[in-house]
Amino acid sequence: MDIYFFLGKGGVGKTTISASFSVGLAHYNKNKKFLIASLDPAHNLGDAFDIELSNKIKKITDNLFAIEVDLEKMIKEYLNDLATNMRNTYKYLSSFNLDRYFDILRYSPGIEEYAVLESIKKFLNSKDYDGLIFDTPPTGITTRVLALPRLTLLWSKRLMNIRRKILDRRKMVENVKGKTEAIIEDEVITLTSDEKEDQIMIELVKYNKEMEDLMNIFQSSLTKINIVTMPEDLALFETKRIIESLNNFDIKVNNIYLNKYLICDNPPEVIKGKIIEQDRVTEKMRNEIKNINIKDIPLLSQSPRGIEELIKFYDNYLMI
Amino acid sequence: MKKLFDLLKKTFKGLDIGLREVSTSLIEKELEEIENIFALLTMGTFAGIPSPPTGIILRILPFMQKEIFVMIKRSKSLDDAFAETAGMFDID
Repeated sequence: MDIYFFLGKGGVGKTTISASFSVGLAHYNKNKKFLIASLDPAHNLGDAFDIELSNKIKKITDNLFAIEVDLEKMIKEYLNDLATNMRNTYKYLSSFNLDRYFDILRYSPGIEEYAVLESIKKFLNSKDYDGLIFDTPPTGITTRVLALPRLTLLWSKRLMNIRRKILDRRKMVENVKGKTEAIIEDEVITLTSDEKEDQIMIELVKYNKEMEDLMNIFQSSLTKINIVTMPEDLALFETKRIIESLNNFDIKVNNIYLNKYLICDNPPEVIKGKIIEQDRVTEKMRNEIKNINIKDIPLLSQSPRGIEELIKFYDNYLMI
Repeated sequence: MKKLFDLLKKTFKGLDIGLREVSTSLIEKELEEIENIFALLTMGTFAGIPSPPTGIILRILPFMQKEIFVMIKRSKSLDDAFAETAGMFDID
């Protein structure tokens, strides 16, 4: 399965380019099935297709499907399930104010990145498609999401080591005094010293494996990272930062789409400066960024909307 | 005779329990400390301590009741940590 991510800051044209890319890919690979998913909380994928999309997968063409993932709803549902689960397991801890903790969790740092990653994981596991295209939230969140599996692995390995120490000590006590018991609010809980029975260890090992698989996918050649940017100084700095931060996590960038490139034979005085900046940035980008394809996409008088226009856009500017 | 035998049995049983308590009390203390560290690391986000990615916390949270219990118990006795350590090593 090939996975395509489209990254970039807001307003550079990620959605148009990813939508057009997905339509083109599906059009020229009729024997394969594709899914494009918008993970941006401010969805406008449906606008690009000129079709109303929702949180449910919708058929766009014979072999292309699309969804606008509702991250808010996903977080809410997940926390609700977790709360129900905890109310059952934490019945001994009535003094522990669960609702208060959940209020904090909803706004805890990283919850959105977690939801985006869970959503990506869900689509990767579905195995229903030959190719996945992700229109992502603005750069900051996406680079953190792509780095999350590797970071999580660092943490989970450390926590597994500490957990092992706990279970070892429990085993020592158990050998002398029998099974360890904890009395929590007058209820007696028997604690295990076996790694295979300890629920926390089981979850850590399971999550560790999931993150390892994700990290391997992100670092493999199956994942194609595409940066959408514009020929401006600030955009160049950001592009370099994305490449650098992804390189730190061994994730390779494949293509850069230099969107909204101004082509004008006799530019009026007011945009002359812009064209000078554009030429300077383009030259700098080609000199400084090696081994990554850079494609220019001109600023069009009208953004492509609807399947027909998106295919034309793909034919003219995106086809490799 | 039977009474003496029962008394001896009780004495040895008491001794056995006592010795077992002594031999494991330090390990149990260490165990509680590591459990507290584990809870602080994973729940520390509520107290401003650097915390692991939210995904890990959410996955293990439903099974953390013992650790949270230890953490709350420890935080309640923090103002008397010196007395606790002194008690641990039989210092009067």
